[in-house]
Amino acid sequence: MGGSGEPITEEEALRRLRLSDDPSAQYYAAWWLGRNRSRHPEAVPLLQEALRQRRPRDSGAGVEENAVARNAARALGKLGAPAAAAIPDLLATLADDDHGLREAAARALGELRAVESVEPLRRRLATGPAVAGAQQPGTPRLQEPCEALLEALGEIGVAEPEVLAVIQPFVGHERPLIRSAACRALLQLTGEPRWGEQLVELLQHQQLQVRRAALMDLGAAGWRPALEPIAATLAENSLKLIALRGLVENGVPSQSPFPSQSPASGDAATEAVLAAMDALL
Amino acid sequence: MSAVFPSPDQSPMARGEHSDAAVALLVEAVERADSALGLLRATQALAAAAHPAAAACLVEVLGFNNPGAAVAAVDGLIAIGVPAVGTILTNIDGYNYGARAWAVRALAGIGDVRGLEVLEDALGKDIGPSVRRAAARGLGQIQLEGLPEAERLLVAERCLEALLDGCRDGEWVVRYAVVVGLEALAPAFTARPESQARLRVALQALGDDPAEEAPVVQLRARLAVQRLRCVAATEASDG
Repeated sequence: MGGSGEPITEEEALRRLRLSDDPSAQYYAAWWLGRNRSRHPEAVPLLQEALRQRRPRDSGAGVEENAVARNAARALGKLGAPAAAAIPDLLATLADDDHGLREAAARALGELRAVESVEPLRRRLATGPAVAGAQQPGTPRLQEPCEALLEALGEIGVAEPEVLAVIQPFVGHERPLIRSAACRALLQLTGEPRWGEQLVELLQHQQLQVRRAALMDLGAAGWRPALEPIAATLAENSLKLIALRGLVENGVPSQSPFPSQSPASGDAATEAVLAAMDALL
Repeated sequence: MSAVFPSPDQSPMARGEHSDAAVALLVEAVERADSALGLLRATQALAAAAHPAAAACLVEVLGFNNPGAAVAAVDGLIAIGVPAVGTILTNIDGYNYGARAWAVRALAGIGDVRGLEVLEDALGKDIGPSVRRAAARGLGQIQLEGLPEAERLLVAERCLEALLDGCRDGEWVVRYAVVVGLEALAPAFTARPESQARLRVALQALGDDPAEEAPVVQLRARLAVQRLRCVAATEASDG
């Protein structure tokens, strides 16, 4: 459903991904395989190859620098268990000079819950907000793709003290989006309410972009006490619905004083989230 | 910056007590607003008037890409209710999906039968998932009470057909809204067991579909099935 371009078959996507002299065909093919969660045995090997493909910066060309490799990384992240074979490739990509490629690799490793990537992810952040989190001169980028690195550590879920110690300083980063990513990771790793409370504060931020990020982060962490603040946030209902879906699916049902009235939905707290979703449609 | 969002009702006058001149002043304030926050406040004040003369201006706000103001405008249009339906229908914006979604939501909230065709069309054909979502919910809450018996069933059947088609929508949030729509529509078929049965079978299928990618849709469908079962049991025991 949806997406750009006419509908194509899996065979066609695999064929296009082999066209190494046609990056825009490869770009679409890589996206297609990820979007459709391809189970074809050729998909992962071809994406591994596409991940190694590098292209010199050519500002005149239609396709961005290394765009094929970036889409290959993103697709691998969506393929689940069969993509485990590509984890070493993604780990190598995490050391690439291309910031955008490191970012895509970090997100994919997080989605694949690649425990072996925790130490490399942690190392890239270890210099803290003042170095890894410093702005690159002449661009809006930070030295490292901090948001993606932080989110990956939260997704993977290894709550070792040395991991927490590296994440925590980013809660004080000057950029609210980085603070939000750090709180999300800490909330996922520790479950401590103070990180959820900081995310709830960000729901009131004056910038819509920050409110949107905090919504997504609370949903990803499934933090049930955020139900009412999410419903009251000034943002699109579409995003609030995604966040509330996250509370239902990722949340630990909070202790309810009432005996379960509804075995089908589990508990009264879940029903409260569903009721809030109904009201936002 | 928590103080920037004022409470929606700051109007010194109670709802429905505004003179036409007072409403004109509130409309002017919306038109004069030169910041996102200013627009939000002015729209909230105008919406609180709940006066039919505010409808055209509130519909205009739906197209301003300001979610806070749009929420307030939708609330205002729903508060105006039936007298706002004509204005909404003649101004449905064919190009701006955001505005269309808000307009469909307003029609859904008012539940006037004149909105039926727009809701059917939106659920079946609109490209924007947020529009289809609002339409699905609206198809479950059209006000049938005031209609003659024959028309009531005709309208309910049309809603049911549209929602049954919507069960196959590619977006989870639309299927979720279809579930909510079907549950709300069920009471319309107390005297029509065959339609009632089709509605329940569809909900059961959404709740049990192993290919459903969104657990929340399954969960909501099972809740709907269970609630309808409770209603049926109560009716049976009441004789």
